[in-house]
Amino acid sequence: MAKKKTKALDLKLANVDSREMRLGSIISWDGSASELVEISQYEQRSRKHSGSGCGVPCGERGKSCRLAELNMPFSQQTMCAQSIVACQIGNITDCILIEHSPIGCSAYHPRFNFGYKVGLLRRGKKLENIRIFSTNLQENDMVFGAGGKLRQSIRDAYDRFSPKAVFISMSCSTAIIGEDIGSIAVEMEKALGIPVVPLFCEGFRSKHWSTGFDISQHGVVRQIVRKKRKKQDDLLNIVALWGTDYFTEMLAPLGLRVNYMIDMASFDELAQASEAAATATFCHTLGSYMATALEEKFGVPQIDAPQPYGVAATDEWLRAVAKAVGKEDIIEEYIESEHARILPRLKKLREQLKGVRGFVSTGSAFAHSMVEVIRELGVDVEGSLVFHHDPVYDSGYEKQNTLKHLVDNYGDIPNFSVSKTQQYQFYALLKRANPDFIVIRHNGVAPLAAKMGIPSFAMGDEHFPLGYDGIIRMGDALIGILARKKFNNVLKRHVSLPYTDWWLSQEDPFILAKHPEILDEAPTAFDDFKEETYAK
Amino acid sequence: MPNNATAQTNSIMHPRYGCTVGAAYTVAAIPGAIPIVHCGPGCVDKQFFILSGCNGYQGSGYAGGGATPSSNIGENEVVFGGANKLDKLINSGVKIMNGSLYVVLSGCSSALVGDDAESVVRKYRSDGKPVVYVDAPGFKGSNLVGHELTVRAIIDRHVGAYSGRKRKGLINLWAEVPYFNTNWRGDTIELKRILEGAGFSVNVLFGPEAGGVEEWENIPKAQANVLISPWVGLDIVKHLADKYRQPWLHVPVIPIGEEATTKFIRDIVAFTGIDSKKSEMFIKKEASQYYYFLEHFADFFSEYWFGLPSSFAVVGDSAYNAAISKFVADQVGLIPAKHIITDNPPKKYRESIRKIYMELSEDVSADVDFIEDGYLIEKKIRETHFGAGVPLIFGTSWERDIAKELGAILLEISTPVMEEIVINRTYIGYKGALTLLENIYTNTVNGF
Repeated sequence: MAKKKTKALDLKLANVDSREMRLGSIISWDGSASELVEISQYEQRSRKHSGSGCGVPCGERGKSCRLAELNMPFSQQTMCAQSIVACQIGNITDCILIEHSPIGCSAYHPRFNFGYKVGLLRRGKKLENIRIFSTNLQENDMVFGAGGKLRQSIRDAYDRFSPKAVFISMSCSTAIIGEDIGSIAVEMEKALGIPVVPLFCEGFRSKHWSTGFDISQHGVVRQIVRKKRKKQDDLLNIVALWGTDYFTEMLAPLGLRVNYMIDMASFDELAQASEAAATATFCHTLGSYMATALEEKFGVPQIDAPQPYGVAATDEWLRAVAKAVGKEDIIEEYIESEHARILPRLKKLREQLKGVRGFVSTGSAFAHSMVEVIRELGVDVEGSLVFHHDPVYDSGYEKQNTLKHLVDNYGDIPNFSVSKTQQYQFYALLKRANPDFIVIRHNGVAPLAAKMGIPSFAMGDEHFPLGYDGIIRMGDALIGILARKKFNNVLKRHVSLPYTDWWLSQEDPFILAKHPEILDEAPTAFDDFKEETYAK
Repeated sequence: MPNNATAQTNSIMHPRYGCTVGAAYTVAAIPGAIPIVHCGPGCVDKQFFILSGCNGYQGSGYAGGGATPSSNIGENEVVFGGANKLDKLINSGVKIMNGSLYVVLSGCSSALVGDDAESVVRKYRSDGKPVVYVDAPGFKGSNLVGHELTVRAIIDRHVGAYSGRKRKGLINLWAEVPYFNTNWRGDTIELKRILEGAGFSVNVLFGPEAGGVEEWENIPKAQANVLISPWVGLDIVKHLADKYRQPWLHVPVIPIGEEATTKFIRDIVAFTGIDSKKSEMFIKKEASQYYYFLEHFADFFSEYWFGLPSSFAVVGDSAYNAAISKFVADQVGLIPAKHIITDNPPKKYRESIRKIYMELSEDVSADVDFIEDGYLIEKKIRETHFGAGVPLIFGTSWERDIAKELGAILLEISTPVMEEIVINRTYIGYKGALTLLENIYTNTVNGF
């Protein structure tokens, strides 16, 4: 099944190169989906072991290797890799994450706690609060160093909770002052006799938060996954987040059990990843690093297929899984019966959703799947947005090229943009695509759509649209989302946006990257602010 | 090393406040003001969660949440400095974001790599643009520290000097910290209603009834400052006393219920010397309505067969902790069992805070603990004796687990609040006291 892959991952070092270094990932781009498929050169990147990181031979620096990005002078708040580590590693049930940072870096915890508890419920595990420590650094620590506080917090975690492992996450401030979390991890690992895993995830390190997934997975594969193996032939690793366990029912005909990683997994569940028959994921943006690391280090094969969303990709995914576990003989019948089972309901939903326009705004590979699902339901998609784009995944497997799969199977998307939750660009993006609803993950953009009269489907359960049944679930849910337009229209009539008329009149959301000079002519907001009011 | 299973160390689990940069939400609470943050990519997003998204789902409003401009400092800025990026951000920000005041807060990375962010801002100021700078690295402290720094910066750098006349009857209200105090919007509306009802004009400065940046420009004209908080804001009113010769009245405990609110009104009227005719009429009307409802509520309270809580614990920031503790002990007659203050008040204020608890009511006093770490808080609550009846805990989402373990009733009154939606509710003054009673006893009767 394997095509040649990108440069092997370096699992010897504690450190992980950022996505932009490894894969050539970008966060700002505008064009059509087919154009992005073409310039991504997925196959070329995956074929070359060139040592240049992303796999495409670099001629003149930055020319053939890097995708051209649209650099905007303005930016709004986003997420960072250190947050991602907290919502990955911080969600392991019997390990403790210690954030080596001032307290503000931990201010996301209440949200992660809520998600963690919902995840525990969905997986039938004991409901309890998340346990992440902050070393709570102060001004003095920035001057004199904070190794002592880190040691203290590791001790606290150990004495209070007897964790199976302790992880340490780096923050911007501790990275800048040069805290040596690597050496302290080694020292404390010896002292406590449990794995102590340093994670170099300071927010400034990568321009996109998804590097935090790689860093989390890197630490787990290096120091948690068991080295001695007893094979579990009926176990399938699924690199996942907090989704409801729909994989089990989908894989039941193949007689497979699911090993979800990393969220809500226990130490032992992670440790057994090396024993599984194969690794798959609901999103290659999330899972490719882990799947590839498990493959390279432990020889666990990965499923070379797109993600199981929408009919076409679910078919291919099931076939690939069946092949990996030697059950090709039964899969065609299963697929056929599933098609027949959902068809009447699907037809009905297609009638109901005819003429409806949708827009997807989520993380990269997952967005490709979401477009497939809503197009499967007959929804029109003229535009969509991904928060970053990976021209290739770590595996480099050809059939995992999700964007190409989307374009080949469901047609082009004329306006396909890459923008990292930049709300100010979202206005023109939505004007251009004119959707009846949006599908979102992450925070920051839906509130703007809400004020433009557009309801959002917050896809908090990423497995909800999974497989054949997921298409039907999604269709049913969309009927409910569309009804909410009433609420959004009330907002639209009475609430105004925080942007200037000048900016809202720009039709191209990326205009400032192409013509920064127009800023010089633009009026300054406060010159005439007092005449206006911020509330209509 | 201290005995870390029982003693407070540097470690904090279950945070209950943000960092200095969280003061972006102090700015976002001023209508028409836009925060601009010069820090890492995730910094102010995290502040959004602890102060708003995870605090009653308050929302991003006009310029918070995904709208907040941020330089998202990356590797390049850490190596080569971030001043240039900040300059571009402000230059484009004042044209893209529709505001009347822009407040730049710089965070940890900027401070540690030595950006001269202040010079960047100064350039805009000398061009006459309303841009204010606040040095707000997260390692300086909590969002409460950031709040005070930011308010002072706006006053010093935007409002500026004033030597004109004062307006009798006009007061500046400094009370709850926007977004941080979960009910701040409803509470501010109630305070304004009370003060206006008593005959004052009020600069409320934050929230739905604030008058925007223009109202801030009127701060120096006020006759006095009224501070309703145990400690946050003391720096502000002391500064204003120096800067604008304004006297201040310190009300350490937010008034809840008729008796406390009526006393509060009379204290301010006496302090400012305005005519008391209007305020006394207002008090009469409010009191009559309040006791109409209390009389009806009393039937439930006296005749309910199925058990009421008798003891209560409060876990929360000092302002809300003190206010709830006082009202519930003094006006409802529940027994104070445990009081844990979680917002890390500076040492110099802790004695005066303790004193509030020493005098909760006639014959009723309580001890208070200052703890920020969730592990130790949970341990303290577990060891608390709640006597007869179901335990009642006023706390945060973090207390869900221990409340469940003890079979307690939990009302979330301090950040994080994830199991209650807060829109315009108030728990203070005349009206809020009744809503607080409703919520305590709704949770009692629906607990089956």
